[in-house]
Amino acid sequence: MSLLDTILDPSRLSVRFQPVFLVRGESNQVDCLEALIRGPRRSNFERADILFDYVRRKKAEPVVDRSCVVAICDAVLNLPTEMRINVNVHAATLGHKAGFVDFFESQTKRRGLRTDRFTIEIVEHAPSCNIPELMDGITALRDLGVRIALDDVGLGQSNYRMMLDCHPEYFKLDAYFVRGLYADPKRRAVVESVATLARALGSSVVGEGVESDQDLAQLGRMGIELVQANILCPAMPFEDLVAKGIVPGEISTSPHLLQAGKSPHPQAFDLKPAELLSWAARRPS
Amino acid sequence: MAEKILIIDDEEQIADAYKEFLTSLGYQVDCAQEVEEAETLLAHFSYSVVITDLRLSKLEFGGLNLVKHIRELSLKTRIIVVTGYGWPELKAEASAHQVDAFVNKPIRLSELAKTVGSFTGRA
Repeated sequence: MSLLDTILDPSRLSVRFQPVFLVRGESNQVDCLEALIRGPRRSNFERADILFDYVRRKKAEPVVDRSCVVAICDAVLNLPTEMRINVNVHAATLGHKAGFVDFFESQTKRRGLRTDRFTIEIVEHAPSCNIPELMDGITALRDLGVRIALDDVGLGQSNYRMMLDCHPEYFKLDAYFVRGLYADPKRRAVVESVATLARALGSSVVGEGVESDQDLAQLGRMGIELVQANILCPAMPFEDLVAKGIVPGEISTSPHLLQAGKSPHPQAFDLKPAELLSWAARRPS
Repeated sequence: MAEKILIIDDEEQIADAYKEFLTSLGYQVDCAQEVEEAETLLAHFSYSVVITDLRLSKLEFGGLNLVKHIRELSLKTRIIVVTGYGWPELKAEASAHQVDAFVNKPIRLSELAKTVGSFTGRA
């Protein structure tokens, strides 16, 4: 069996979740969870960067993205029903005529998952992308209540054109610009410009890869309240997030939470800062 | 730290046999069955020795292109080509890309260990 065949078997993939935190003053809340795929266990391809590097070399993004969606939908079945989930999908997949959106809808419906819980994070590494078909895909996703995020903003294909054409609810600012932000005026200038642009376009910015308290505080001063960082919480199985008190573990069926929210952060979970910091202090160095 | 070795062969059983043997000798061994898989591993890891078949991924001599690729990445990596084709022209082309050893199939595991060992200081 080739490696690609193995990857195309969703049961061989595992899913980790990393929280995106809403940091507002002394308050930290889990805004949503990004679902992150890991390859077959005990293989070199367990590492996501290696796995997806291989997938891109094979130009197999559309088929592998479907496998990932299946694995993620299965994992999401175990999550509280109000928890919002981010899923990475290649722009090449969304712009592919083979009907990713129909596939996504059928997989969520089959499991009774509400599509408006999902945010699709558009990732793109290939230089060419069929923009009209991508736009059709995004429109179809929005019709399902799905939100759109543009991943790796500032690098590669996540450029001004994609910001305009995709009109994402979220700009996920690449870690390259966030790391060392506090001490680097040039990085601050870049991040400030992205934040200003996002505000003008009606989008929110998520700072990725924060590695220091100073950079975290600096993002806050720049009005960027959504952050994703290993120093706060790395990606891990959902059960571990529950065990560490990061997210609640019980399944909630509260009727008001079943309605689609329109505010930027309608279903955030409260997490006491002390609990978060306490856990973060215990994280492996 | 154990030297890292990459084995590239689209016959999984052969690659597994090499891996099991070389691992037992204390090497850290990865396997790839196709060109893209090998290129991915080469992009992320540094290998002391690469052992590659020439016929890969249903391409008649896909391994030869891979040899060129490995040389572009590193001049230090030692390359051992293992193949059932013993043609002089093929050997000449492989040699032009600074292949360090050319071994005909079938290869005895003891011979493989000796060849690898000559590049890792274990001979």
